[in-house]
Amino acid sequence: MDLATGVAAILTLAVFSFLYRDNPAYKVAESLLIGLSIGYFLVITWNNSLMSLLFKPLFGDGRLSLVIPLGLGLLMFGRFHSKTVVLSRLPIAVLIGAGAGAAIPAMLGARTMAQMSATVQPLWSESNSFNLSGLIVLIGVICTLAYFYFSREHQGGLGRAAKVGTWFLMIFFGTTFGFTVMSRMSTLIGRVEFLLVDFLHLTN
Amino acid sequence: MKPTSRHLCFLGLAVVVVVAMLVDYRPALTPSDDTRGMFDYIDSLPQGSLLLVSFDHEASSLPEVRPLALVFLRHAFARNHRLIGIALLAEGTGVGCGLMNQVAKEYGKEYGRDYVYLGFKPQYVAAILSMGESIRQTFPEDYTGRAWESLPMLEGIRNYGDLAGVISITDGSMVMHWVEYGNGRFGVTIAAFVAAAMVTTYDPYLGSGQMRAMVGGLRGAAEYELLIGRVGSGARSMLAQTSMHLYVLLLIVIGNVVYFRNRRSRGGT
Repeated sequence: MDLATGVAAILTLAVFSFLYRDNPAYKVAESLLIGLSIGYFLVITWNNSLMSLLFKPLFGDGRLSLVIPLGLGLLMFGRFHSKTVVLSRLPIAVLIGAGAGAAIPAMLGARTMAQMSATVQPLWSESNSFNLSGLIVLIGVICTLAYFYFSREHQGGLGRAAKVGTWFLMIFFGTTFGFTVMSRMSTLIGRVEFLLVDFLHLTN
Repeated sequence: MKPTSRHLCFLGLAVVVVVAMLVDYRPALTPSDDTRGMFDYIDSLPQGSLLLVSFDHEASSLPEVRPLALVFLRHAFARNHRLIGIALLAEGTGVGCGLMNQVAKEYGKEYGRDYVYLGFKPQYVAAILSMGESIRQTFPEDYTGRAWESLPMLEGIRNYGDLAGVISITDGSMVMHWVEYGNGRFGVTIAAFVAAAMVTTYDPYLGSGQMRAMVGGLRGAAEYELLIGRVGSGARSMLAQTSMHLYVLLLIVIGNVVYFRNRRSRGGT
């Protein structure tokens, strides 16, 4: 067994010890995770981003246009002092403007238009077979939208549609919760597999 | 501190999962349509196709994501596809590099000719959009600092137009960004191996055709292992997962029985 496996196993057990109660071993493991994550992020951002995209091309290859993003980035540090905080508004404005400009058409296209288009499917195919799932999707969308329509009291037809809408929502929440439980269990299985196979060599 | 029913539940869960992992029995599996769809997609690409694989996950989800990444990499290398690895979340960077090198070694693949690993870029939306214009400008050098022009596999590659598709291995919402910006803006084919918790989030995109294929969770990994004929963590874990599900169902039943008995004994309805 190598040192890394031993350290990983001890830290895994330290984290599991929280299931009994909070304790110093868990605190050490938690602090290590936070510290390492931040340190790793900083190093990887410096090496893979700032060096390769900014400093090397600017100071090595003389791409002077990169002075603009460098300057905008430096203005962000203005937030650290009350007298210079106003300087940080410029890079924030650029970020928000560029972000919104990129996001709004992309989201409208992918999340709204394409999804609406996929919702409206022919109920009868060319081979004359009935598209049951298309009908279920259509009913589900209409009834769920009815549930979120608050401009009229949920009575009569609208109330009944909204009620059906809640069933669809409950099915979605239940399915999502089930998948999430499965995901968390997979994480536990992975760690137990690591302990039994790599650390203790009890099974292959 | 006295042990409580909560502690007993955890202890029971630990016993169930350890015993299930020690028992050498694998439940029969039938690959789902989604898993088969992904297998057929990777299999149908001409040999040597260029795929971009993005490790968009954190280290905490490694137990679930690792088997998914391994089945994809094994299938892709077995089909002699060429792979460009990247990471849009920092913690996935080292993991992705390690997994690509490990599987490449299994299949005798050469770095720079059969696969490259370009590493991490922050601001994933900007990175996805930027690669649509130029992958080279987004990643002027690889993870280890080697210049783009020193890697023969990358010769002539400009943007998504030169790729057969993008495969995102993710535990979060990154596929949504690939769909919105990669597929929506540049029309690149998106497929994903996702943690089980994200399956319902991405199902609408799969149904609408905005995503080409999706494999979800440890179960998906086990099914894919069956299709590529190589047993791994996924298949080994299926008995444990089934046992844990049954254990949780048992707890739910016991919890409800106790609740209704207590309510009746208090004279409630």
